[in-house]
Amino acid sequence: MEQDAQLVQQCLQGDGSAWEELVRRHTRRIFNICYRFTGNRTEAEDLSQDVFLRVYRTLASYRSAHGGFATWMTSVTRNLLIDHYRRTKRDRVTDSLDDKMPVVENKESVGRRPDEQALLGELSNQVQAALTRLSPELREAVILRDLQQLEYGEIQRVLEVPEGTVKSRINRGRIELARILQQMGVRPA
Amino acid sequence: MNWTCEQTEARLSDYLDGVLEPAEVLAFDRHVSGCERCTPLVASVSHALDRLHDLEQLEPSPRLVNSILTTTIGPQSWRNAKRWLRNLQSPRFVYSAVSVAATLFLILSASGFSWKKPKLADLAPANIYRKADSQAHLIYARGTKFVSDLRVVYEIQSRLRQDNEIPTTEEETIPKSSPNKKPNSTNGTNPASPRQQNRANGIERHLEILAAALPVLTGSMAERSIR
Repeated sequence: MEQDAQLVQQCLQGDGSAWEELVRRHTRRIFNICYRFTGNRTEAEDLSQDVFLRVYRTLASYRSAHGGFATWMTSVTRNLLIDHYRRTKRDRVTDSLDDKMPVVENKESVGRRPDEQALLGELSNQVQAALTRLSPELREAVILRDLQQLEYGEIQRVLEVPEGTVKSRINRGRIELARILQQMGVRPA
Repeated sequence: MNWTCEQTEARLSDYLDGVLEPAEVLAFDRHVSGCERCTPLVASVSHALDRLHDLEQLEPSPRLVNSILTTTIGPQSWRNAKRWLRNLQSPRFVYSAVSVAATLFLILSASGFSWKKPKLADLAPANIYRKADSQAHLIYARGTKFVSDLRVVYEIQSRLRQDNEIPTTEEETIPKSSPNKKPNSTNGTNPASPRQQNRANGIERHLEILAAALPVLTGSMAERSIR
């Protein structure tokens, strides 16, 4: 965390190699948040790029006193993901009319490249598909808690909601995810 | 402690995260084990959570980092150029560059390179050598001339000193001149003797030679010799 703050200071002094180091340190994490939220590799890469672009432009506004750089970046990512969700909501409504209750395999076979299908197959595609069917509020809470392993306090700072709301969203998100998985035929042994 | 289905649902994450009090855990377990509704709920959520934790971190494509860097701080070539320029700012490089520049300046100046009208041909090694050679000869010739001029000056000075040191036996016959009077002139009252006139003419001739030979020293030497 201290190293991030130091790199940010160097970036603000015009050190390009410090920015390169920051990008290399956080690309994987940011990409994973975006991928788990959208369920689409191309979208996740585009969004990751947008996240870093915004972070680069607003780097001077980052204050280490308000939390770690990673938390701040996650907050920027979350805001962009929500913006993206709202922007593409109409497209998704149209899609859902065509395929209201998709079977996981069928849904993934449409519009995905073969390498994406193989990737999803390896990485438990049912869970990913169930995640993308959660509401955005519950999805982001579950991703931050159960996939990014953030503490409640950090999630509270990222989502800018009270801790009680964070706990409630995580709990509801897990229950909803379990219900969706059951509907998809993924049940405990 | 009584435990309800609503409590089970509301505190399920706390239970799974292990943050419930021991008494609450006991009550939770006792309720769930006997509740047909809560047993499958806890099992399914616990299973979903395990599946979530099984998900591995994905590796982004290698070009993602590069495209992020290109979007933010420019393409690879530009980044390399900026890094190279940044390295130029190190004191060690600056000192080295200044020394090299000074050395080149000295070599080119010594070889007669024209800074006002620089020509590419002047930088050819053969031309540099030829010009440096002629410049060296010129400097040598000037030095030789300077030494010879100095010799002339000292010779004139020594002759003048000799002339002044000749004992005057006819002192009484020569009229005394005033201290400010020039050697080749009279004060207007007494005419100069032939010896005085000859000496004045000799000095004048020497000064003319000296002036022609060494224009810079003309003023000061002539002044000194007159005194």
